[in-house]
Amino acid sequence: MPEILKNLPSEIKKNKLKAGIFLGLSAYWGVILVGTIFSIH
Amino acid sequence: MEVFLPIAEVSVNILVILSLSGIVGVLSGLFGVGGGFLMTPFLIFFGVPPTYAVANEANNILATSVSGSTTHYLKNTLDYKMGLMIVVGGSIGTLLGIWTFTYFKGIGKIDIVISLAYMYILAIIGTAMLIEGLGEIDKARKKIITKKKLHVHYWIHGLPLRMRFPKSKLYESAFTPIIIGLMVGFIAAIMGIGGAFILVPAMIYIIGMPTKLIPGTSLFVTIFVSVIVTFLHAFNYASIDLILVGMLVIGSIIGVQAGQKLGESIDSSSLKTLLAVLLLVVGIAIAYDSFFAEHTAEEVVKIDVNNLNPLSMFIKKLSAEMPILYGLFSIIFAVTLGVGAAFIRRFFSNLRKKYIKKAA
Repeated sequence: MPEILKNLPSEIKKNKLKAGIFLGLSAYWGVILVGTIFSIH
Repeated sequence: MEVFLPIAEVSVNILVILSLSGIVGVLSGLFGVGGGFLMTPFLIFFGVPPTYAVANEANNILATSVSGSTTHYLKNTLDYKMGLMIVVGGSIGTLLGIWTFTYFKGIGKIDIVISLAYMYILAIIGTAMLIEGLGEIDKARKKIITKKKLHVHYWIHGLPLRMRFPKSKLYESAFTPIIIGLMVGFIAAIMGIGGAFILVPAMIYIIGMPTKLIPGTSLFVTIFVSVIVTFLHAFNYASIDLILVGMLVIGSIIGVQAGQKLGESIDSSSLKTLLAVLLLVVGIAIAYDSFFAEHTAEEVVKIDVNNLNPLSMFIKKLSAEMPILYGLFSIIFAVTLGVGAAFIRRFFSNLRKKYIKKAA
């Protein structure tokens, strides 16, 4: 885990709020897209 | 305080519907959008079946857009020629949308199609607004001022059949507003929304209309689109419930007026971010409801028409026996409430001005 954190771009580390929003939105869209695929099948 | 809706055949709490439509009305007044993309999912959450939620919200939008458009007509901030061009495309789009709606209803998939459409629309608008709102807050903190381009040329501007729009001071292809109207009409028919959230940015960035003419023209277009949607839903599916429409119209008209007043004294960037979060929350709630929640088979309630109150009985019979007359009545009902609200607002506005003058 510390290895992954070390490899994160320094910009993301600098701005935790922006990174949090980015990750939150990615997770949000992930849930929607995966859910759509499952519901279609 | 439960009220039985004779057409949708469900009971709703009158206070919940009035407050929800009032809150959505306030948000509409604050941000200049119709609010249909928020109200229809709310109705679905509170037990109104999606087919009925779409149709009745379209009728509510008709009333609010007539109210807003009348106000702009009185202020002379409306481009009829541009509006009518968008209406041409909007009418074709609405017919295509109703045809698509009928197809999915026929194969029994309309509820999931409406839920998915809402989820994606809310997610797209919510994400875009969140990024824009946070960007604006960030720029304001760092005191960065950016100059925006006045008019960007896209392929759509190179289309033939160019004509003059004197009020907007534009010389543009008639296909530009027609194509935009087509998209708006299609989405409005399937989702029961006015489509202002697509129309307004398209009018600013693609058509390049002056900002002061945009709200009035957008509302003018919405009148025609929602008239067609309301009539076709009433005629094809008998899904307009005048009791629900009445509650929605009263709540949203009062809310819109309050929102417009509130908007004069509030910072828009922070509010935009908050609205974006709200849209994303509603979007994920629909996603949860559609994908993960266990849907228990609803009991089919047989309603004895003789047990209904006289008003509900009259509405149910009129809707079933005379759908054309009922559709026309729904339209006239919404138009009358909308025009009435606009004139009441003007009356109070003049009264206020008179008292301010006297005090001065």
